[in-house]
Amino acid sequence: MEQTERIYIWRRFTLREAVLLCFCATLIVLTRAGLRLHLHLPGHVMFFTMFFFLLARGCVPKVGAATLVGLITSLASVILGMGSGGAMVLVKFLLPALVVDLAGLIAPAFVTSLLACATVGVLASLLRAGANTGVEWLLGMDEEIMLQKTVISAGMNGLWGGLGALAVPAIIRRLRKNGLIDQGAAAT
Amino acid sequence: MQKGPPKFRTSLRSRGYPCRFAEHDSPVHRMGAGWKLLFGVFLSALAAGGRTPLMQAILVMGTLAYYLSARLTLRDLWCDVRLFAFQAAMVIPLYCMLDGVEKGLWPGVRISTQIVLFYLPGAVFLRTTRTSEAMAALRRIVPYRLSFLVFVSVRFVPLFFRELEEIVALQRLRGARLSPREQMNPRNWPDLFNCVVLPLMVRAFRTADEVSRSAEARAFGLHRERTYLDVAAMGRADGEEAVSEVEGRDGAYPVKALTD
Repeated sequence: MEQTERIYIWRRFTLREAVLLCFCATLIVLTRAGLRLHLHLPGHVMFFTMFFFLLARGCVPKVGAATLVGLITSLASVILGMGSGGAMVLVKFLLPALVVDLAGLIAPAFVTSLLACATVGVLASLLRAGANTGVEWLLGMDEEIMLQKTVISAGMNGLWGGLGALAVPAIIRRLRKNGLIDQGAAAT
Repeated sequence: MQKGPPKFRTSLRSRGYPCRFAEHDSPVHRMGAGWKLLFGVFLSALAAGGRTPLMQAILVMGTLAYYLSARLTLRDLWCDVRLFAFQAAMVIPLYCMLDGVEKGLWPGVRISTQIVLFYLPGAVFLRTTRTSEAMAALRRIVPYRLSFLVFVSVRFVPLFFRELEEIVALQRLRGARLSPREQMNPRNWPDLFNCVVLPLMVRAFRTADEVSRSAEARAFGLHRERTYLDVAAMGRADGEEAVSEVEGRDGAYPVKALTD
Protein backbone atom coordinates (compact mmCIF):
# COMPACT_ATOMS: atom_id res chain seq x y z
CA MET A 1 0.00 0.00 0.00
CA GLU A 2 1.43 3.34 -1.00
CA GLN A 3 1.47 5.93 1.75
CA THR A 4 1.67 9.64 1.00
CA GLU A 5 4.12 11.55 3.16
CA ARG A 6 2.88 14.47 5.21
CA ILE A 7 4.21 17.92 4.35
CA TYR A 8 6.22 19.28 7.27
CA ILE A 9 7.53 22.73 6.44
CA TRP A 10 7.07 25.54 3.91
CA ARG A 11 4.22 23.64 2.26
CA ARG A 12 6.59 21.55 0.18
CA PHE A 13 9.14 19.60 2.25
CA THR A 14 8.33 16.36 4.03
CA LEU A 15 9.96 15.73 7.41
CA ARG A 16 12.47 13.36 5.78
CA GLU A 17 13.48 15.96 3.20
CA ALA A 18 13.68 18.68 5.84
CA VAL A 19 15.89 16.51 8.07
CA LEU A 20 18.11 15.66 5.10
CA LEU A 21 18.48 19.37 4.33
CA CYS A 22 19.27 20.07 7.95
CA PHE A 23 22.04 17.45 7.75
CA CYS A 24 23.48 19.34 4.79
CA ALA A 25 23.53 22.37 7.09
CA THR A 26 25.25 20.24 9.77
CA LEU A 27 27.93 19.26 7.29
CA ILE A 28 28.49 22.91 6.31
CA VAL A 29 28.88 23.81 9.99
CA LEU A 30 31.20 20.85 10.50
CA THR A 31 33.44 21.72 7.56
CA ARG A 32 33.46 25.40 8.58
CA ALA A 33 34.60 24.43 12.08
CA GLY A 34 37.25 22.12 10.63
CA LEU A 35 38.56 24.65 8.15
CA ARG A 36 38.70 27.54 10.58
CA LEU A 37 41.12 25.58 12.72
CA HIS A 38 43.52 24.69 9.94
CA LEU A 39 43.32 27.10 7.01
CA HIS A 40 43.87 30.83 6.80
CA LEU A 41 42.94 31.38 3.18
CA PRO A 42 40.41 34.10 2.37
CA GLY A 43 37.13 32.79 0.97
CA HIS A 44 37.92 29.10 1.57
CA VAL A 45 34.67 28.72 3.53
CA MET A 46 32.80 28.96 0.23
CA PHE A 47 34.31 25.70 -1.02
CA PHE A 48 32.18 23.40 1.14
CA THR A 49 29.35 25.94 1.57
CA MET A 50 28.63 25.99 -2.16
CA PHE A 51 29.24 22.26 -2.44
CA PHE A 52 26.59 21.43 0.16
CA PHE A 53 24.13 24.09 -1.06
CA LEU A 54 24.21 22.58 -4.54
CA LEU A 55 24.20 19.04 -3.20
CA ALA A 56 21.11 19.89 -1.12
CA ARG A 57 19.42 21.21 -4.23
CA GLY A 58 20.37 18.00 -6.08
CA CYS A 59 19.15 15.70 -3.31
CA VAL A 60 15.88 17.59 -2.75
CA PRO A 61 15.02 19.11 -6.15
CA LYS A 62 12.43 21.57 -4.86
CA VAL A 63 12.50 25.35 -4.84
CA GLY A 64 13.56 26.58 -1.40
CA ALA A 65 15.81 23.61 -0.55
CA ALA A 66 19.03 25.62 -0.59
CA THR A 67 17.35 28.54 1.19
CA LEU A 68 16.26 26.23 4.01
CA VAL A 69 19.83 24.92 4.29
CA GLY A 70 21.13 28.51 4.36
CA LEU A 71 18.66 29.50 7.05
CA ILE A 72 19.45 26.50 9.24
CA THR A 73 23.20 26.95 8.73
CA SER A 74 23.10 30.61 9.75
CA LEU A 75 20.99 29.94 12.86
CA ALA A 76 23.12 26.93 13.84
CA SER A 77 26.28 29.02 13.32
CA VAL A 78 24.97 31.70 15.67
CA ILE A 79 24.02 29.08 18.28
CA LEU A 80 27.40 27.36 18.03
CA GLY A 81 29.31 30.62 18.25
CA MET A 82 30.64 30.65 14.73
CA GLY A 83 29.31 33.92 13.41
CA SER A 84 30.32 37.18 15.02
CA GLY A 85 28.41 39.31 12.54
CA GLY A 86 25.01 38.87 14.20
CA ALA A 87 22.35 39.46 11.57
CA MET A 88 25.07 39.55 8.91
CA VAL A 89 25.58 35.79 9.28
CA LEU A 90 21.99 35.35 8.13
CA VAL A 91 22.59 37.50 5.06
CA LYS A 92 25.91 35.81 4.26
CA PHE A 93 24.33 32.37 4.05
CA LEU A 94 20.94 33.30 2.69
CA LEU A 95 22.16 35.31 -0.30
CA PRO A 96 24.15 32.47 -1.94
CA ALA A 97 21.38 30.02 -1.07
CA LEU A 98 18.83 32.23 -2.81
CA VAL A 99 21.04 32.31 -5.92
CA VAL A 100 21.10 28.49 -5.97
CA ASP A 101 17.31 28.36 -5.65
CA LEU A 102 16.88 30.99 -8.33
CA ALA A 103 19.08 28.93 -10.65
CA GLY A 104 16.97 25.89 -9.81
CA LEU A 105 13.86 27.81 -10.70
CA ILE A 106 15.28 28.80 -14.08
CA ALA A 107 16.92 25.47 -14.93
CA PRO A 108 15.63 22.65 -12.68
CA ALA A 109 18.27 20.12 -13.79
CA PHE A 110 21.28 22.43 -13.55
CA VAL A 111 22.96 20.42 -10.77
CA THR A 112 24.07 17.77 -13.26
CA SER A 113 25.81 20.26 -15.52
CA LEU A 114 29.43 21.07 -14.70
CA LEU A 115 29.32 24.48 -16.35
CA ALA A 116 26.00 25.49 -14.77
CA CYS A 117 27.18 24.40 -11.31
CA ALA A 118 30.45 26.31 -11.65
CA THR A 119 28.60 29.43 -12.84
CA VAL A 120 26.09 29.30 -10.01
CA GLY A 121 28.87 28.56 -7.48
CA VAL A 122 30.91 31.57 -8.62
CA LEU A 123 27.88 33.89 -8.78
CA ALA A 124 26.61 32.90 -5.35
CA SER A 125 30.07 33.32 -3.83
CA LEU A 126 30.44 36.76 -5.42
CA LEU A 127 27.16 37.76 -3.84
CA ARG A 128 28.36 36.66 -0.43
CA ALA A 129 31.45 38.83 -0.86
CA GLY A 130 29.07 41.62 -1.83
CA ALA A 131 27.36 41.34 1.57
CA ASN A 132 30.60 42.39 3.27
CA THR A 133 30.88 45.28 0.85
CA GLY A 134 27.38 46.32 1.88
CA VAL A 135 28.51 46.71 5.49
CA GLU A 136 31.53 48.75 4.40
CA TRP A 137 29.30 50.96 2.27
CA LEU A 138 27.00 51.40 5.26
CA LEU A 139 29.99 52.50 7.34
CA GLY A 140 30.92 55.08 4.72
CA MET A 141 34.09 53.60 3.24
CA ASP A 142 35.66 55.35 0.25
CA GLU A 143 34.23 53.87 -2.94
CA GLU A 144 37.57 53.31 -4.66
CA ILE A 145 39.04 51.46 -1.70
CA MET A 146 35.82 49.52 -1.24
CA LEU A 147 35.98 48.46 -4.88
CA GLN A 148 39.60 47.31 -4.60
CA LYS A 149 38.82 45.28 -1.47
CA THR A 150 35.71 43.82 -3.06
CA VAL A 151 37.59 42.71 -6.16
CA ILE A 152 40.13 40.82 -4.06
CA SER A 153 37.61 39.20 -1.70
CA ALA A 154 35.07 38.47 -4.46
CA GLY A 155 37.82 36.89 -6.57
CA MET A 156 38.88 34.56 -3.77
CA ASN A 157 35.31 33.73 -2.76
CA GLY A 158 34.35 33.08 -6.39
CA LEU A 159 37.37 30.84 -6.96
CA TRP A 160 36.67 28.65 -3.92
CA GLY A 161 32.92 28.61 -4.50
CA GLY A 162 33.39 27.60 -8.13
CA LEU A 163 35.82 24.81 -7.20
CA GLY A 164 33.41 23.45 -4.60
CA ALA A 165 30.53 23.56 -7.08
CA LEU A 166 32.51 21.63 -9.71
CA ALA A 167 32.45 18.51 -7.54
CA VAL A 168 28.65 18.39 -7.30
CA PRO A 169 27.51 16.93 -10.68
CA ALA A 170 29.67 13.80 -10.29
CA ILE A 171 28.35 13.17 -6.77
CA ILE A 172 24.73 13.71 -7.86
CA ARG A 173 25.17 11.33 -10.78
CA ARG A 174 26.59 8.64 -8.52
CA LEU A 175 23.82 9.09 -5.96
CA ARG A 176 21.23 8.78 -8.73
CA LYS A 177 22.96 5.77 -10.23
CA ASN A 178 22.72 4.00 -6.89
CA GLY A 179 19.06 4.91 -6.49
CA LEU A 180 19.63 7.07 -3.42
CA ILE A 181 17.93 10.10 -4.95
CA ASP A 182 15.23 10.50 -7.58
CA GLN A 183 16.26 10.30 -11.22
CA GLY A 184 16.27 13.96 -12.18
CA ALA A 185 12.98 14.91 -10.60
CA ALA A 186 11.55 18.19 -11.78
CA ALA A 187 11.43 21.19 -9.52
CA THR A 188 8.22 21.89 -7.70
CA MET B 1 30.94 20.22 53.87
CA GLN B 2 30.77 23.67 52.31
CA LYS B 3 31.03 23.77 48.59
CA GLY B 4 33.49 26.28 47.16
CA PRO B 5 32.60 28.70 44.39
CA PRO B 6 32.63 27.23 40.89
CA LYS B 7 36.01 27.33 39.24
CA PHE B 8 36.25 29.80 36.42
CA ARG B 9 39.06 30.65 34.11
CA THR B 10 41.92 32.42 35.84
CA SER B 11 44.55 32.25 33.11
CA LEU B 12 45.13 35.18 30.81
CA ARG B 13 45.72 32.85 27.91
CA SER B 14 43.04 32.92 25.26
CA ARG B 15 41.80 29.51 24.20
CA GLY B 16 40.79 28.27 20.80
CA TYR B 17 39.22 30.17 17.98
CA PRO B 18 37.64 33.66 17.92
CA CYS B 19 34.29 34.19 19.64
CA ARG B 20 34.45 30.93 21.55
CA PHE B 21 32.21 30.79 24.63
CA ALA B 22 34.10 31.77 27.79
CA GLU B 23 32.75 30.33 31.05
CA HIS B 24 32.64 33.17 33.56
CA ASP B 25 30.40 34.84 36.08
CA SER B 26 29.74 38.41 34.93
CA PRO B 27 26.79 40.80 34.55
CA VAL B 28 26.88 40.23 30.79
CA HIS B 29 26.85 36.45 31.22
CA ARG B 30 23.79 36.80 33.46
CA MET B 31 21.89 38.93 30.93
CA GLY B 32 19.24 37.16 28.86
CA ALA B 33 20.29 36.10 25.37
CA GLY B 34 17.53 38.20 23.80
CA TRP B 35 18.62 41.33 25.64
CA LYS B 36 22.24 40.75 24.67
CA LEU B 37 21.24 40.38 21.05
CA LEU B 38 19.13 43.52 21.19
CA PHE B 39 21.88 45.53 22.92
CA GLY B 40 24.40 44.22 20.40
CA VAL B 41 22.27 45.33 17.47
CA PHE B 42 21.88 48.74 19.11
CA LEU B 43 25.66 49.11 19.57
CA SER B 44 26.30 47.97 15.99
CA ALA B 45 23.79 50.52 14.69
CA LEU B 46 25.54 53.24 16.71
CA ALA B 47 28.88 52.11 15.27
CA ALA B 48 27.51 52.49 11.74
CA GLY B 49 26.33 56.00 12.49
CA GLY B 50 29.18 57.37 14.63
CA ARG B 51 31.61 59.15 12.33
CA THR B 52 32.96 62.08 14.33
CA PRO B 53 36.09 61.60 16.50
CA LEU B 54 34.15 62.38 19.69
CA MET B 55 31.36 59.94 18.88
CA GLN B 56 33.89 57.28 17.96
CA ALA B 57 35.83 57.79 21.19
CA ILE B 58 32.62 57.40 23.20
CA LEU B 59 31.66 54.28 21.23
CA VAL B 60 35.11 52.73 21.67
CA MET B 61 34.94 53.36 25.44
CA GLY B 62 31.38 52.04 25.65
CA THR B 63 32.01 48.90 23.60
CA LEU B 64 35.26 48.19 25.42
CA ALA B 65 33.50 48.61 28.78
CA TYR B 66 30.80 46.17 27.58
CA TYR B 67 33.44 43.69 26.42
CA LEU B 68 35.55 43.89 29.56
CA SER B 69 32.53 43.82 31.88
CA ALA B 70 31.99 40.29 30.54
CA ARG B 71 35.34 39.55 32.26
CA LEU B 72 36.92 38.80 28.93
CA THR B 73 40.63 39.47 28.71
CA LEU B 74 42.61 41.65 26.34
CA ARG B 75 43.94 38.45 24.80
CA ASP B 76 40.37 37.40 24.06
CA LEU B 77 39.83 40.81 22.49
CA TRP B 78 42.89 40.38 20.30
CA CYS B 79 41.72 36.91 19.30
CA ASP B 80 38.31 38.32 18.30
CA VAL B 81 39.51 41.39 16.39
CA ARG B 82 42.69 39.91 14.90
CA LEU B 83 41.08 39.46 11.51
CA PHE B 84 39.90 43.08 11.49
CA ALA B 85 43.37 44.24 12.50
CA PHE B 86 44.74 42.66 9.33
CA GLN B 87 41.97 44.38 7.42
CA ALA B 88 42.93 47.73 9.01
CA ALA B 89 46.54 47.12 8.00
CA MET B 90 45.26 47.01 4.42
CA VAL B 91 42.63 49.77 4.55
CA ILE B 92 44.68 52.53 6.28
CA PRO B 93 47.64 52.39 3.84
CA LEU B 94 45.17 52.35 0.93
CA TYR B 95 43.55 55.56 2.21
CA CYS B 96 46.99 57.12 2.76
CA MET B 97 48.08 56.17 -0.75
CA LEU B 98 44.91 57.61 -2.24
CA ASP B 99 44.54 60.88 -0.31
CA GLY B 100 47.99 61.34 1.22
CA VAL B 101 48.92 60.63 4.82
CA GLU B 102 47.51 63.89 6.15
CA LYS B 103 44.08 63.53 4.58
CA GLY B 104 43.83 59.77 4.40
CA LEU B 105 44.96 58.70 7.88
CA TRP B 106 41.82 59.69 9.82
CA PRO B 107 39.26 58.22 7.35
CA GLY B 108 41.28 54.99 7.30
CA VAL B 109 41.43 54.78 11.09
CA ARG B 110 37.76 55.76 11.35
CA ILE B 111 36.54 53.07 8.96
CA SER B 112 38.75 50.39 10.52
CA THR B 113 37.50 51.30 14.00
CA GLN B 114 33.89 51.35 12.82
CA ILE B 115 34.24 47.86 11.33
CA VAL B 116 35.61 46.52 14.65
CA LEU B 117 32.88 48.31 16.62
CA PHE B 118 30.22 46.93 14.27
CA TYR B 119 31.25 43.30 14.81
CA LEU B 120 32.43 43.37 18.45
CA PRO B 121 28.97 43.22 20.13
CA GLY B 122 28.31 40.01 18.17
CA ALA B 123 31.55 38.60 19.55
CA VAL B 124 30.44 39.49 23.11
CA PHE B 125 27.15 37.67 22.51
CA LEU B 126 28.93 34.53 21.37
CA ARG B 127 31.55 34.74 24.12
CA THR B 128 28.97 35.04 26.88
CA THR B 129 26.01 32.94 25.72
CA ARG B 130 25.77 29.21 26.19
CA THR B 131 24.41 27.11 23.35
CA SER B 132 21.45 26.13 25.54
CA GLU B 133 20.63 29.80 26.26
CA ALA B 134 20.86 30.71 22.59
CA MET B 135 18.57 27.79 21.79
CA ALA B 136 16.03 28.90 24.39
CA ALA B 137 16.06 32.43 22.96
CA LEU B 138 15.74 31.08 19.42
CA ARG B 139 12.77 28.94 20.43
CA ARG B 140 10.88 32.07 21.41
CA ILE B 141 11.27 33.84 18.08
CA VAL B 142 11.49 31.06 15.48
CA PRO B 143 8.53 28.77 14.57
CA TYR B 144 8.87 25.37 16.23
CA ARG B 145 9.13 23.46 12.96
CA LEU B 146 12.19 25.48 11.95
CA SER B 147 13.71 25.53 15.43
CA PHE B 148 13.36 21.72 15.54
CA LEU B 149 15.45 21.50 12.38
CA VAL B 150 18.06 23.89 13.79
CA PHE B 151 18.34 21.84 16.98
CA VAL B 152 18.58 18.59 15.02
CA SER B 153 21.33 20.19 12.96
CA VAL B 154 23.25 21.19 16.10
CA ARG B 155 22.62 17.90 17.92
CA PHE B 156 23.94 15.85 15.00
CA VAL B 157 27.24 17.72 14.68
CA PRO B 158 29.05 15.30 17.09
CA LEU B 159 27.54 12.26 15.35
CA PHE B 160 28.63 13.36 11.90
CA PHE B 161 32.00 14.37 13.29
CA ARG B 162 32.50 10.82 14.61
CA GLU B 163 31.25 9.39 11.32
CA LEU B 164 33.66 11.59 9.41
CA GLU B 165 36.58 10.49 11.57
CA GLU B 166 35.69 6.82 11.16
CA ILE B 167 35.20 7.08 7.41
CA VAL B 168 38.50 8.94 6.96
CA ALA B 169 40.37 6.40 9.10
CA LEU B 170 38.90 3.42 7.23
CA GLN B 171 39.41 4.92 3.79
CA ARG B 172 43.01 5.81 4.61
CA LEU B 173 43.57 2.18 5.58
CA ARG B 174 42.23 1.26 2.14
CA GLY B 175 44.79 3.57 0.54
CA ALA B 176 42.77 6.75 -0.06
CA ARG B 177 44.93 9.85 -0.19
CA LEU B 178 43.27 11.78 2.61
CA SER B 179 46.05 12.95 4.92
CA PRO B 180 46.28 16.76 5.27
CA ARG B 181 49.56 16.76 3.34
CA GLU B 182 48.09 14.66 0.51
CA GLN B 183 45.01 16.87 0.39
CA MET B 184 47.20 19.92 -0.25
CA ASN B 185 47.53 18.53 -3.77
CA PRO B 186 44.32 19.25 -5.77
CA ARG B 187 44.88 16.03 -7.77
CA ASN B 188 43.98 14.12 -4.59
CA TRP B 189 40.69 15.99 -4.08
CA PRO B 190 38.62 13.36 -5.96
CA ASP B 191 39.53 10.95 -3.14
CA LEU B 192 37.97 13.37 -0.67
CA PHE B 193 34.68 13.43 -2.53
CA ASN B 194 34.52 9.77 -3.62
CA CYS B 195 35.82 8.19 -0.43
CA VAL B 196 34.53 10.57 2.25
CA VAL B 197 31.69 12.79 1.05
CA LEU B 198 29.80 10.05 -0.78
CA PRO B 199 29.72 7.58 2.17
CA LEU B 200 28.90 10.50 4.47
CA MET B 201 25.90 11.42 2.30
CA VAL B 202 24.73 7.80 2.26
CA ARG B 203 24.90 7.88 6.06
CA ALA B 204 23.00 11.20 6.06
CA PHE B 205 20.22 9.64 3.93
CA ARG B 206 19.90 6.69 6.30
CA THR B 207 19.92 8.86 9.41
CA ALA B 208 17.35 11.24 7.89
CA ASP B 209 15.10 8.22 7.27
CA GLU B 210 15.49 7.02 10.86
CA VAL B 211 14.99 10.44 12.44
CA SER B 212 11.94 11.33 10.38
CA ARG B 213 10.29 7.92 10.90
CA SER B 214 10.98 8.10 14.61
CA ALA B 215 9.56 11.63 14.90
CA GLU B 216 6.49 10.81 12.80
CA ALA B 217 5.84 7.70 14.88
CA ARG B 218 5.52 10.08 17.83
CA ALA B 219 3.00 12.18 15.87
CA PHE B 220 5.52 14.99 15.59
CA GLY B 221 4.42 17.76 13.24
CA LEU B 222 0.80 16.60 13.27
CA HIS B 223 -0.51 19.85 14.72
CA ARG B 224 0.13 23.48 13.94
CA GLU B 225 1.32 24.05 17.52
CA ARG B 226 4.16 22.14 19.18
CA THR B 227 2.83 19.12 21.07
CA TYR B 228 4.41 17.00 23.78
CA LEU B 229 3.61 13.49 24.88
CA ASP B 230 2.11 13.59 28.38
CA VAL B 231 4.21 10.93 30.10
CA ALA B 232 2.18 11.26 33.32
CA ALA B 233 -0.99 10.32 31.45
CA MET B 234 0.79 7.35 29.93
CA GLY B 235 2.19 6.15 33.26
CA ARG B 236 -1.20 6.13 35.01
CA ALA B 237 -1.96 2.52 35.84
CA ASP B 238 -5.67 2.78 35.22
CA GLY B 239 -5.72 0.18 32.53
CA GLU B 240 -8.01 1.12 29.69
CA GLU B 241 -8.47 4.74 30.75
CA ALA B 242 -4.79 5.57 30.41
CA VAL B 243 -4.51 3.79 27.10
CA SER B 244 -7.58 5.43 25.61
CA GLU B 245 -6.39 8.85 26.81
CA VAL B 246 -3.11 8.50 24.99
CA GLU B 247 -4.33 6.83 21.84
CA GLY B 248 -7.64 8.61 21.53
CA ARG B 249 -10.90 7.01 20.50
CA ASP B 250 -10.25 7.24 16.79
CA GLY B 251 -6.66 6.13 17.14
CA ALA B 252 -5.33 9.71 16.75
CA TYR B 253 -3.37 11.38 19.50
CA PRO B 254 -5.68 13.49 21.67
CA VAL B 255 -4.81 17.10 22.37
CA LYS B 256 -4.91 16.43 26.13
CA ALA B 257 -2.15 13.86 25.95
CA LEU B 258 0.01 15.70 23.46
CA THR B 259 -0.41 19.41 24.02
CA ASP B 260 1.64 21.09 26.70
